[in-house]
Amino acid sequence: MAKQQKEVRDLGEGGYVLIDDAACKIDSYSTAKPGKHGSAKARIEARGVFDGKRRSLSQPVDAKIWVPIINRKQGQIVSVDGDDMQVMDLESYETITMRIPEDVDASPDDNIEYLEMEGQRKIV
Amino acid sequence: MYPGATADRTEANFVVVGAPLDASTTFAPGTRFGPRRIRHFSETFDDYDHRTDRRFTDCAVHDAGDIRAWDAVDEYLEFLEGTLRDVHWDDAVPLLLGGEHTVSAAGAGAVDADVFVCLDAHLDLRSEYDGNPLSHACVTRRILDPDDYDDAPDIDVEEAIIIGARTGSEEEWERASEDDVTVVSPDEAADFVPELEDRLEGREAYLSVDIDGADPAYAPGTGTMEPFGLDPRTMRDVVRTVAPHATGFDAVEVNDRDDGQAASLAGKLLREFVFSRVDALES
Repeated sequence: MAKQQKEVRDLGEGGYVLIDDAACKIDSYSTAKPGKHGSAKARIEARGVFDGKRRSLSQPVDAKIWVPIINRKQGQIVSVDGDDMQVMDLESYETITMRIPEDVDASPDDNIEYLEMEGQRKIV
Repeated sequence: MYPGATADRTEANFVVVGAPLDASTTFAPGTRFGPRRIRHFSETFDDYDHRTDRRFTDCAVHDAGDIRAWDAVDEYLEFLEGTLRDVHWDDAVPLLLGGEHTVSAAGAGAVDADVFVCLDAHLDLRSEYDGNPLSHACVTRRILDPDDYDDAPDIDVEEAIIIGARTGSEEEWERASEDDVTVVSPDEAADFVPELEDRLEGREAYLSVDIDGADPAYAPGTGTMEPFGLDPRTMRDVVRTVAPHATGFDAVEVNDRDDGQAASLAGKLLREFVFSRVDALES
């Protein structure tokens, strides 16, 4: 998996983080202030990008953490077949089959934006 | 560690969290010592509970220690609420030890309850006190009307039931007269218990024990004593009634200005809560 290491203090709302090996988008980030003895602790609430599952993490702000590298891509819907659609990547012109999310009204020639990581995709 | 709270965090059904916030106490301070006092004065209680035939050490309680408080109360509440939400997401019940009553807003926000049940001498329905919307005198208002305040926790409580209330400002009594608030005076509290049982049926509650709900003769170690209060047995009966429906519990406003009476009562009510909830769920 493409990923990079950061310190917990570098994370923020709207960013990504790996929790339990799942790529998650950060919904909230709060910190406890350190006392005279001890380091500040951060608490992160996040939601799985691909599975939608909520997860949380509590770590000192200077702890190292993995952040997934998620590609944001542009595509064009070529055709729609039941619950699936054929999408052409507008950069590589590769055609892929994707499941149509319930809340998306897909029709041919529409342009879409999607996130991709290790074969997993999610329409933005 | 709270006496008998020996379970691992991953296996716990209840998690004790201390929140020694002492920022807005208005008369006698000292709630920063509340969690420590409650743990200390609970040391004498027997592990075995005769009424339920259970041992506290078998009730899967874990003590996560204190979340150290700092001056920025809104930031503190946000972090505390997140910590308690972790407990709730793990299908455990947070047992919050205050700290001033303000911390209840974090508890109620964390567990997403339908009803806020509160043992309290005061209505705590002020929109602000001394210009501070996060004063301990405003906590029930913050929980009922979170949108009045920009940085308030995300709370969706539909009703507040305040038992033992005997004082408030004119503004507070006006707010209390609306449909989403029930105020039960100390005189009516014992008779109200059966009705409380009916009203909680099928709903999830958050139970907050402000120790000043008790008459100051029983619990003098609190910041704003108010005579003509509840007796401990009535408080115990309320706790026993609410516990099976409650996804969160707190005991707040205990300070260090007595010989342990307030802390002892708070610690005992916490144990009653645990025993009653376990008993109701397993029988």
